[in-house]
Amino acid sequence: MRGFTIWGVFIGSLMALAFGLEGYAADLFRKLLLTATLCVGFNFLFGIAGQIAFSHVAFYGIGAYGVVILGFQLDFPLPLAILGAVLTCGVIALLVAIPSTRLEGFFLALATLAFAQLFSVVLLQGGEVTGGPQGLSGYPTPDLFGIKLEGRAYTVVISIVFLSTLAILLLIDRSWFGRACRAVRDNSATAAAMGVNVFRIKVAAFTLTSTLAGVAGVSYAFVDNYLSPIVFGLEPMFLLLFMIIIGGTGRHVGAIIGAILLFLAPEVLEEWVGRHYLLFFGILVVGTILFQPNGLIGMWETLWKRRNHRVIPR
Amino acid sequence: MTDFLELTVSIGEAGCIYGLVALSYLLVLRPTGIINFASGEWAALGAFVAVTLIAQEKLPWIIGLPLAALAVGAVGWMTERLTVRPLVDRGTPVLSPILALLGMLIFYREMYSWMWGVDNLFVPMPFGFGRVEIGPFAGTSQSFFIMAVTVTVFVLTWFFFEKTIWGKAFEAVALNRMAAALMGINLKLVAGLAFAGGAVIAAFAGILQAPITTVHFLMGLPLAIKGFTALVIGGVGRVEGALLGGLTLALAEKLTIRYAPIPSGFALGIPFLLLILFLMIRPGGILRAKGAD
Repeated sequence: MRGFTIWGVFIGSLMALAFGLEGYAADLFRKLLLTATLCVGFNFLFGIAGQIAFSHVAFYGIGAYGVVILGFQLDFPLPLAILGAVLTCGVIALLVAIPSTRLEGFFLALATLAFAQLFSVVLLQGGEVTGGPQGLSGYPTPDLFGIKLEGRAYTVVISIVFLSTLAILLLIDRSWFGRACRAVRDNSATAAAMGVNVFRIKVAAFTLTSTLAGVAGVSYAFVDNYLSPIVFGLEPMFLLLFMIIIGGTGRHVGAIIGAILLFLAPEVLEEWVGRHYLLFFGILVVGTILFQPNGLIGMWETLWKRRNHRVIPR
Repeated sequence: MTDFLELTVSIGEAGCIYGLVALSYLLVLRPTGIINFASGEWAALGAFVAVTLIAQEKLPWIIGLPLAALAVGAVGWMTERLTVRPLVDRGTPVLSPILALLGMLIFYREMYSWMWGVDNLFVPMPFGFGRVEIGPFAGTSQSFFIMAVTVTVFVLTWFFFEKTIWGKAFEAVALNRMAAALMGINLKLVAGLAFAGGAVIAAFAGILQAPITTVHFLMGLPLAIKGFTALVIGGVGRVEGALLGGLTLALAEKLTIRYAPIPSGFALGIPFLLLILFLMIRPGGILRAKGAD
């Protein structure tokens, strides 16, 4: 019953914000929701499945560029373009996952980093197709099933994308698949001995979360009606990693808290320190790893436990 | 043919810079198992200190170069002391210090842009803009200076690992931490020295590169990625592998830019393709580590 109340309040406030906010605040809210969507997906991959992949933002980009290229350069109808972009993401993710998930630890990070950087090179050198350093702009705001994808209606669409991503990840996290992912993360040899197909679990976790990033990317394409290669580069990837670490690695709520904190922080900090706000992010990440490895959510739970003498299940 | 010989000099120059960054990774990676992405930022710091000492304070290169390298070495040692050692002491998995160093990467970079600004800065060449010809090879004086210094650094590092008891201690820690500790090797001292040494060598790369490119707060990460690629190509186990990897990477890059029939922008992708290729097909690199099976 308590679970239902929390979900009710959560979805209710999301919808209230979606309908209540206007102008700059609504724009900020849409981008925050997409950042949070990326965060919960990356948290599943990094925190729960234990793969540090620096390719998550690249798949976000493949979704975004994919839908625009399919929809407005090849003139596919929009539902088909969306489906095509998401499928492209899934296929590329599978092709990347099969060889690279065999790499151990940080070497996976390096292989996926190389893939993400290659994607950036393609975006910058793609000529007419990707628009080069200027990116893609000037494509019209489309209709989807009679709804114009802008303003309040689009905020609701993005809220639904966020909520369904979260719901999918929560459901599979609670299924055998989530437990298998955690087992592989903690000790792949033991997991294999327990009958878990380590390779398949790794590939499935990578492909699933990368495809979800692609879905978020498709939604991003119509937020500004402008795609810039910078948004899909290495810097946002680092930021995503920092959000997870600061919020609490492996915790869904932590990922959302991290996303909210680091996404909104520049709005406040920029007035004080200009673009040096990244300095604080660096300090915050190093401080978190050194002093509070479970992140903000871990800190809150420790305080809560101390007050109520309760044991919180992990 | 002259075209190719001049290309050889520029390959040597770029390869030496990549090789130095790769050596910086290697020095930290061997005894600690930590892949230190901040080494590119150490190279950038070297370049920035060189701007202050050589371009602004007008110190001669012969004093400015070692001073700047030592200053970065001190920063490297401090980094190990403050961010890596507490984690290693606590027995966290090796991933934690790697991620902490990624955080330090952003921290360093923003410090540079805060202290030195966001504009391009310049360092004068030690021997001017003159063109030097040695036999059939011709290039700028800086190219030959870079190669001479790099070869010296590599010979000294090789000598350190092969001929000194300290080098043996590093190697012992790399092969078996527990046994090395039982033999009385001070693991903390080795880790501290590895970071300090890695920082000094990365600083050399940054300082030497400063006169040919400009000094900018974003220069670190591209160097870090190329240096790492060079390390993977050459093999993570041996000093000479770092230089070999750097030269191989530079060769592939320059030949593609000069001769391949693709837009030169796509040549930017060469290091990444090579990195993926080597990680997939030959993760041990061209040269295998000694004592590895």
